[in-house]
Amino acid sequence: MATASDKTVATAPPPKGPAESWAKRGGALSLAQRFLTMREGSIIVVTVVTFVYFSLSSDRFLTTSSLQALLPFFAPFAIMAAGEVFVMINGEIDLSVGAVYLFTPFIFYKLNVDVGLPLIPAMIGALVVSCLVGLFNGLVVSTVGISSFVTTLGTLFTLDGLTLIISHASQVTAPGTSVVSVPTFAQIFGGGTYSELFWAIGITIVLQVILSLSRWGIYTVSVGGNRLGAAEAGVRTRRVLTGNFVMCALLAGFVGILEAVRSSSITPDPSGSNDILFQVISAAVIGGTLLQGGSGTVVGAFIGAIFLGILRDGLIIKGVSANYFLFYLGLAVLLAMAFNTYVSRVRTGSGRGG
Amino acid sequence: MADNTIAGEHIVAPATADDDVMRVEHIAKRFGPTVALRDVNLHLRKGEVLGLLGDNGAGKSTLIKILCGFQKQDSGTMWCKGENYAPKSVDDARKRGVDTVFQDLALINELSVYHNLFLRREKVTKPIPFLSNALMKREARKALDQIGINIPRIDVPVARLSGGQRQAIAVARTISGDADIILLDEPLAAMGAKEGAMILDLIERLKNEGNVSIIMILHNYVHVLTACDRVNLIQDGVISLDKPAAETSVEELTEIVVEEYRRARQEANVGNGAGAPAAPQQSET
Repeated sequence: MATASDKTVATAPPPKGPAESWAKRGGALSLAQRFLTMREGSIIVVTVVTFVYFSLSSDRFLTTSSLQALLPFFAPFAIMAAGEVFVMINGEIDLSVGAVYLFTPFIFYKLNVDVGLPLIPAMIGALVVSCLVGLFNGLVVSTVGISSFVTTLGTLFTLDGLTLIISHASQVTAPGTSVVSVPTFAQIFGGGTYSELFWAIGITIVLQVILSLSRWGIYTVSVGGNRLGAAEAGVRTRRVLTGNFVMCALLAGFVGILEAVRSSSITPDPSGSNDILFQVISAAVIGGTLLQGGSGTVVGAFIGAIFLGILRDGLIIKGVSANYFLFYLGLAVLLAMAFNTYVSRVRTGSGRGG
Repeated sequence: MADNTIAGEHIVAPATADDDVMRVEHIAKRFGPTVALRDVNLHLRKGEVLGLLGDNGAGKSTLIKILCGFQKQDSGTMWCKGENYAPKSVDDARKRGVDTVFQDLALINELSVYHNLFLRREKVTKPIPFLSNALMKREARKALDQIGINIPRIDVPVARLSGGQRQAIAVARTISGDADIILLDEPLAAMGAKEGAMILDLIERLKNEGNVSIIMILHNYVHVLTACDRVNLIQDGVISLDKPAAETSVEELTEIVVEEYRRARQEANVGNGAGAPAAPQQSET
């Protein structure tokens, strides 16, 4: 509550006197509070604490090979969560990201092996297909007006089913990969040790810039914050919604290809892809993007994904039963939700939700 | 019903003046079974402030939403500055110089004051279109000062502002654009006496400058008579009275509305008494 009073002091018409003396009294405290009420602040702290805990409690955690092994535990989720964040800021949810992740590599495989397209055109073709899935989701939600939960649940099962049908439920070798070496294509698109990390960092930066510094970002927040008001102000709400669903599906499809190339195999495993879906949404929520729309952060989702990766990797290294992972994941989501709700109330004042 | 008039009511016929900036004729709009507007004729002269009165559900907001391009009429024609006017969207209407302050204000709680002020008119850098927040902040401050609205901090989300401040921001957003026809849907709704007076002063000032023409929905008859040049009364989806503000009075306006209420009740009673179906009640959203 001290933070709330700090803000009101700052908003009051003569801000000089009281604000200055307040800063003198508790500068460090105020800085800490400001950091914690920053949307990403709390999750950064939690992530660092978790990281330090595992580093101290196991001498096998803080090694290069262990940290490299950590990468695939978070980079794919970070990329997919970046797209999901935009949909969630719109006040919607895309449950089909796991299914798109599963489906797209098979299209890539079909276009390359069966149709005979070279690697890059085959990949682009597969990504266009994933965009079409997003376009379908977006149009049904924005134009027909069916809730995104139902729409994307339908897309999820349809795509999972299609994947099993076209793959005959059997695993294939990912195009562009080789058992003896890592070709250039694979180096760039998932096969290189740090490839996914670079993609994750790059995509996170670009999308965070779009969110905070572009018109698209403002419209995305507007559509989630007040859809009718945004429409009245002239924002093309349908276009914004559809665009974000397309981007979300595109990123999911792209990660599907990255992961296929990294593991050099494409596995039709719907339950695995649904696990990915839940982790993507968890990363976004833990990172400070609530489902109520109007606010969210891509960087937060990135850190949320790192947190989940550290948690999973750390527990494995410590030899804790994998069962604990889901338990901790659940706690983390609940705590993040509670804390972020509190923080957003402090930030916007007691104006809503009270 | 052969025609859509109700016995005993008065519908203002299409009227024009030489200096009309906006004219609408025979506008009708229904939402499913509900008739919002039946036959609306209205004109707005250059530099004029036209007050739109009417009870809840008479169709005032629907009319504004059609004029501003947010909704499309079922039938009827509109002209704006001598040309046919059929806006496809709010943006489209804005390009023709028509801008609106909506009843619900159309503010985005999560965005800052200056982002709200510049929503859909954002200033961006070149060549890459990043938002130029510094420029928008400066211009927002300038615009608010010019209008005389005191908002201590413009980089906070509008969720933090009071009802009156929010209303002032919504009005400022429309006025600081380059619209010359301004539609205001209850601009004084959430305001205290002082803030309300400030907005009325602002409208007075715009009127004296003579560049903008205003259609304004108000509930308070005293405000209407002081702020407006002309008054139009909407009843049951038609405009039933069109008079210069100087020639009417609070008493007359009140009498008309009460009269309407009595007539409606009488009709309902007659309908029930005879066992025949009553005339369809025109209750709107």
